[in-house]
Amino acid sequence: MNKQSPLYLAIFLAIVAAIAGGALYAANSATAPIIAANEEKAEKASLLEMYPDASIDDFVSVDASDITPDHPFVDKVYKYGDNVVVFKCSVSGYDGGTVFLVGIDAANDLVDGFKAISNADTKGIGSRITEPEFAESVIGKQASGQLDTISGATYTSTPVVQAINECAVIATEID
Amino acid sequence: MNRMQNFKNGLIKDNPVFGLYLGLCSTLAITTSINNAIGMGVAVIAVLILSNMIISAIRKLVPDDIRIPVYIVIIATLVKIIQMLIQAYAPALNSSLGVFIPLIVVNCIILGRAEAFASKNGVLDSALDGLGMGLGYLLAVLAMSLIRQILSTGVLSMTNPFNEAQVLFSLRLIPDNYTISMFSAPLGAFMTFAFLAAALTAYKNNIHKKEEEAAKAAKIEAAKAAKAAKEAA
Repeated sequence: MNKQSPLYLAIFLAIVAAIAGGALYAANSATAPIIAANEEKAEKASLLEMYPDASIDDFVSVDASDITPDHPFVDKVYKYGDNVVVFKCSVSGYDGGTVFLVGIDAANDLVDGFKAISNADTKGIGSRITEPEFAESVIGKQASGQLDTISGATYTSTPVVQAINECAVIATEID
Repeated sequence: MNRMQNFKNGLIKDNPVFGLYLGLCSTLAITTSINNAIGMGVAVIAVLILSNMIISAIRKLVPDDIRIPVYIVIIATLVKIIQMLIQAYAPALNSSLGVFIPLIVVNCIILGRAEAFASKNGVLDSALDGLGMGLGYLLAVLAMSLIRQILSTGVLSMTNPFNEAQVLFSLRLIPDNYTISMFSAPLGAFMTFAFLAAALTAYKNNIHKKEEEAAKAAKIEAAKAAKAAKEAA
């Protein structure tokens, strides 16, 4: 066949793409399980930071597909023990927003644990949400009631506090 | 063609970053720490060698009209495979390099070497060219990240890329209060790059000048010898 004919070019490109696809499939099937295991480990590592005494198996994943359409900030939901529901949330803030975990004692409507995973707002202002002071200020409070924001960093902390309030309501609906 | 000379050119004189100004985007973005620089450098070396070898091996099969799409498919496949390997075995590196691993696909060093070298030379030469250029890139990002990390954090440190928690070494060179955090920002990247590129240009000019002087001296010498020969005659 003529090397310049369009058909030859199309077939050549198709063959190259097919080989590339095959190589990618092989690499993907070899690494996908390891990647998934890594992600789960990273995910649960932050849960263990919030509850240092727990073991990884204490957290049971809850199907969040009913919750997320109405509450898009909820990423993941876990149950810890009988009463506590742990939410992984990501909310927008002043700039990049905050990703955090909050544990809610559904039976008593209390904030049981709080852990900010990452904050991409202004360093030294919004990032104060990741410091222990904020976690201490909300833990033990009524989860659906008034929670203190950080003065001077309201753009960052108000969405977080609102999300905790909403999680308190969702937690009562999960059994 | 002299293989060794080719290889050495990629390292210093035609350094892809400071000499040819290729692939600057990733260079500016990932040089905040030595760990990132080494991870990125090794990934680029791997992709560069493999893509150069494959492209050189099939250079006689590929029709001229579609060579660029074929090269891009090959490079993209290699980059994706390497990204999956990094994700699986060095997840910390993956999260700190982020989008710059997939962006190796459009790194002009790789397509540039494919087009300029591998499509015209043999497999072994192309592999060596890839290694030289890749090491040049690694050297460049390493130099930049050394300066930026030390000035912005004051600490010379490195962690095991396969296990984030394991610190290989950590050495504080500048007290905490005297660090310049600007160097971790893009501004610091541009400044570091400019100084290093200027240094390399000055070095090259210096060599050039010396060569010229040597040539001139040789000419005068030859003229003198010719004159002496004439007088003697």
